[in-house]
Amino acid sequence: MINFTTYGMAVDGLLAVGGILSLALGVSGLILIKNQKQEIIWNKRFAAQILCWIFICKGVANGARSIGYETEVWRIVLYSSHFADQIFSGLMILLALIFPVPILRTRKHFKYGVAIVLLYTLFSMFAAVFIGVSSPLSGIGDSYIVCGFIWTMVYLKFRFMKGHEENKEILGVSDVALLLTIMIIGHILFRWVGMLTRSNYFYFMDLYGGNVASDYLWSMGLASAVLFGIVILGGEIYQATQGRIRGTSYVIFTYMAVGIVGHIVLAGTGLSGSGGGTGAGSSYTTLQIIWTEITASVHFTMIRPILGLYILFHYGLIRISEENEQVGKTMAIVLIVVATSALLEIIQSLIPLTEMLSAGILGVAIAFGIGWEERSFQSLVSNPLRFPLRAKGLYFPDLSFEKQDFQALNKGLLVMISFMLGVAFILHLSEADPFSMSFW
Amino acid sequence: MAMSESSNLGFLIKEDDSGRAFAILSAVLVIGLTFHAYTFFITKEDDIANKYTLPTYSVIFEENDVQNSDSMLIANGETDVFQLSRDIIDASATSMMAQIAFTISYEETSGQIADPCDEVHAHIPPNGLIADWQNTENVLSDSNDNCETMTLVVYVYPGYTGESVEEVGQTEEYWKDMWSNQTYGSGILELEISVETNQAPGSNLIPTVNDDNEEINIQWTVSFFDADVQVMPL
Repeated sequence: MINFTTYGMAVDGLLAVGGILSLALGVSGLILIKNQKQEIIWNKRFAAQILCWIFICKGVANGARSIGYETEVWRIVLYSSHFADQIFSGLMILLALIFPVPILRTRKHFKYGVAIVLLYTLFSMFAAVFIGVSSPLSGIGDSYIVCGFIWTMVYLKFRFMKGHEENKEILGVSDVALLLTIMIIGHILFRWVGMLTRSNYFYFMDLYGGNVASDYLWSMGLASAVLFGIVILGGEIYQATQGRIRGTSYVIFTYMAVGIVGHIVLAGTGLSGSGGGTGAGSSYTTLQIIWTEITASVHFTMIRPILGLYILFHYGLIRISEENEQVGKTMAIVLIVVATSALLEIIQSLIPLTEMLSAGILGVAIAFGIGWEERSFQSLVSNPLRFPLRAKGLYFPDLSFEKQDFQALNKGLLVMISFMLGVAFILHLSEADPFSMSFW
Repeated sequence: MAMSESSNLGFLIKEDDSGRAFAILSAVLVIGLTFHAYTFFITKEDDIANKYTLPTYSVIFEENDVQNSDSMLIANGETDVFQLSRDIIDASATSMMAQIAFTISYEETSGQIADPCDEVHAHIPPNGLIADWQNTENVLSDSNDNCETMTLVVYVYPGYTGESVEEVGQTEEYWKDMWSNQTYGSGILELEISVETNQAPGSNLIPTVNDDNEEINIQWTVSFFDADVQVMPL
């Protein structure tokens, strides 16, 4: 028998833990980048910074939402999380435009690309303020299409490159493209069957509801994510039949398999909650609530930062040397221990474990976590995968950027996030209505 | 290939696979999103438009009664207990108990001339059976001394009136559960009946003829129902 009071606490806590994990990853990642001494190719350096800011934004959004809307400061919760998600979306597009394969291929491209994405993000924020958060102009679903398309195309190109089927550097590019896609859209893949079977649990997902155009654009973004997942699944099934299965193949197989089981669990549900299916709908049964929690919510709050950490270290976006090794290790341990304890909290809310038993399990889990650190951290950070600059150098244009250019991006994003938090506070003071054209 | 050529987007699309990856992905995206748009705007248009409209469910009840009767010979000044439960009446396991009605009747059976009716008191203690004891329509006790029939009623299933109802929100399963709670009607209902005999005038002069008990007839009717829940069209 499930204790619903405990379960509810675990649900709210999960968003908070996810927020802390994301913030911890983002901030400590930025510290590592600042302290690293080694030269890193420009797109990896910018990608590392953008990835860290992505997690800072998600940390702000998840942290704010964990407070809930039944509070006097609900406008701050709503606006700050919405704005943070808009910056998050803009940064995801920017990340896809430069990493792993730069689409912005000259300094001029890069300058205009960054400017356009950030201006578009600001425009979306203003649309949210002046037209309403549920307006199509303030939506954030479009980022899935742009990012997913770029990364899936990069995946296909490098996974199926003739004559390079065993080239680790080339396959590394396809791996990171696949992992980035999973990191961003993984929670939607848990509902992929619903899109094809026209199930309510897929088509009823929306951001705020009440605006058909917004709902459609959001749903279209989710549908595109499913399509990219299916393309990658098809690619990996083909490669598996050719005997070229890789570690990342199992990741997509797992996500899509969970999606099939999820269809059995979620079929027949009505309202599916808001967002990308990371929360349970109002008419969900206990089983459906638990299923949503242990799949989409766990991906959304915990797997994302852990995948982010893996990408940052394993693909050499952040290079660990003696100077910053301690920060890197601490960052990895904090992420693993917090994620482990949060997972245990979920299990404890589902299975009636005594506190003594759960403390014991946590101890064992942490010991394993630290053991993992001892054994695997060095191999993760000391041998980062290099990109095929010699074999396929034309894909990776060599651009030079000054230190100030990297700092300018940090400063710009810091100003942007501070600005959006300030705007959220002002909107709270002015008692704005987030769902109408309150300032016209 | 010169660096200037590799700096445009066309290079990225065409390099290595002549644009096959781009073409396949674009085709899948166009076909998939067309299917999605058709589903969103045509197939599921009404469902999506009404997704925030709370569903309404019609709950229709099919009622059936179980009746029987019994009699008890109760001595003067005594209280006897008549018990009733689902097991005793061998009720259907799936039907819900709606209400229990007792009709208590008696006549003066002493055979003495001008012997007045005895005083009979009937009472149902509000415990033992899980029922809607707070229902103001319940008649839990009665008494008389004129041989008139008494009727006691216990409403068992809260909210049940026998009329069809419409419920808004929640799920079909929720309302089925709401109207199929076997807890109500479980336990044993007790009907306590006590008798105080009234002697005929002058009966003390004839010692062999005495009014010292009464036969009480109890007719009981237990109403059961089965609920059928159906979602009403929007």
